Amino acid sequence: MNLRGTVAVFGDYVSGDVILPARYAFLDPEAMTAHVLEELDPAANERVRRADILVAGTAFGYGTGRESSARALRAAGVKVAIGGPFARMFYRNAINNGLLVLDCPALVGDGVEDGCEMEIDTVAGKIRCAGRVYAVPPVPDLVNRIVAAGDLVAYGRSWLRERARGGPNA
Amino acid sequence: MPEPGLTLAQKILARTSGVAHPRPGQIVEAMPDFSYSHDFAVYAIDAFERMGATRVLRPDRVAICLDHIVPADNVRDANNHALIRAFAKAQRLRHFFDGGTGISHQVMFERGLVVPGSLVVASDSHAPSGGALGALALGVGETELGFAWATGRLWVKVPDTVRISLDGALPPGVHAKDLMLHMVARLGVLGAVYEVLEYAGPAAPSLSPSERFTLCNMSAELGAKSGVFPFDATTAEFLRGQAQFDFEPVQSDADAAYARELTVDLAALGPMVALPGREDRGVPVGEAAGRTVHQVFIGSCTNARADDLAIAAGILRGRRVHEDVRLIVVPASRAVMAEAARTGDLEALLEAGATFMPSGCAVCAGVHQGVLADGELCLSTSNRNAPGRMGNRKAEIALCSPATAAASAVTGVVTDAREFAAVSD
Ligand code: SF4
Repeated sequence: MNLRGTVAVFGDYVSGDVILPARYAFLDPEAMTAHVLEELDPAANERVRRADILVAGTAFGYGTGRESSARALRAAGVKVAIGGPFARMFYRNAINNGLLVLDCPALVGDGVEDGCEMEIDTVAGKIRCAGRVYAVPPVPDLVNRIVAAGDLVAYGRSWLRERARGGPNA
Repeated sequence: MPEPGLTLAQKILARTSGVAHPRPGQIVEAMPDFSYSHDFAVYAIDAFERMGATRVLRPDRVAICLDHIVPADNVRDANNHALIRAFAKAQRLRHFFDGGTGISHQVMFERGLVVPGSLVVASDSHAPSGGALGALALGVGETELGFAWATGRLWVKVPDTVRISLDGALPPGVHAKDLMLHMVARLGVLGAVYEVLEYAGPAAPSLSPSERFTLCNMSAELGAKSGVFPFDATTAEFLRGQAQFDFEPVQSDADAAYARELTVDLAALGPMVALPGREDRGVPVGEAAGRTVHQVFIGSCTNARADDLAIAAGILRGRRVHEDVRLIVVPASRAVMAEAARTGDLEALLEAGATFMPSGCAVCAGVHQGVLADGELCLSTSNRNAPGRMGNRKAEIALCSPATAAASAVTGVVTDAREFAAVSD
């Protein structure tokens, strides 16, 4: 997978409750975008909505397992979260919503700033940004398939269709 | 070279995925033995339907327990609940618990739905609570719960296991919650990320199922994938006549490869308070003593069982809640509340000035009721204290045991319950 886009940078220990408080968890994804990360500060909401790629520090998304945090980021247009290490339920929920998560702590705080252009090549395991190149571990096959399908719902749809046809999932 | 032995978590994943020797870091597709959800099941239902699925596989192995927003707070939540009830009926889900039954983790625990050796998944981050009974219990998202209903499977990254060796005995007035706040402070909120914590050591057998629950529950606050107490005589006793499913307990092999081992000396511990903002800001209660408290919450899946209420009632019996403090008590389940009524603890708490709310998450998630005013501090027996968690980011939350909570409710300031008992008796 090759991806490129504009970066927004966030710090350490941004909890899932801060990404999207529980009181907004039942909004439509579209409506969530107005609130995503606003708990951190109003500028954070604007920054994330302008970005395709989110660079985040340690423990981003820790705490609550509510999927709405990941769903809200995806609805706001974020396609990749990179940095970390990330909290595990955030990792799962992001992947299942088609938001790729790449652990690359080396990149955090290394001169990558808001508005930087970033290029990601998941096959070669390389990230280019601000004149530097970073290595990332390969994306597990199943994760690749889910993200390539669009999200877990799309992946599940084709899985069920294949099983109905008597394919390998039968 | 022969393969090393397997940990409890690896064995459960081996059985449920068909991979004989699952390696840490490897992704396997496993078939959960049991799954449950709560109000957020609406998203699982939505995902299930958008996948084009029509039938929940093994509906006798699926539960939903409404707990987050009960009774409903507004039309939207009421409609969500109605949608979930209709789905549970249409899909003939064997186990549906309506609002007021209790917090889902507690209800699964007390009704024998979580059994040793099983792979349990729940669409909630405190699913690890089920580890108290020797299950591998994993928190998952709502979409993938819908996927599991439809396909019977779920992707799981095989975890490393950390052995937590519990030594010594907790001193009087020091509780499982203090041990956990100590561990989170020591290791940090990502201290065990992607790992399973296996609680063992000489002190482990002496901990009650409720205390084990507190430890496994708050393993989530270490970023862990889960926490687990291997099956023993205490588990067997607790489940006698209760277990809803046949089970086969699983233990780690003697030569299992642990990622590391940590020893905690329980005798060295004292009461802890996690200062506002993050769960790993735990300090000995003395360092927080004297801070003004506006609201005290004795509730949540972490610490609102009968033993917790008994500890609180023991301190509040014959005393009054401070006039500047609101004490909100929310038993973890209706069964817990009934038990507290039988023992007289309920009456003691009411007479001291506690306000009760229906069993459920209540104040913990900040979705409805018990919201704090700007600048207030809530001392809470729950597990999370991130900014805004209880619905107002201009308020603060500190975490503690039921004993510290009860003593502080009387004095109006953060108080060490041990001194309190000594001076006021
Ligand atoms: S009581 Fe709190 S931590 Fe427990 S399940 Fe409910 S919201 Fe989550």
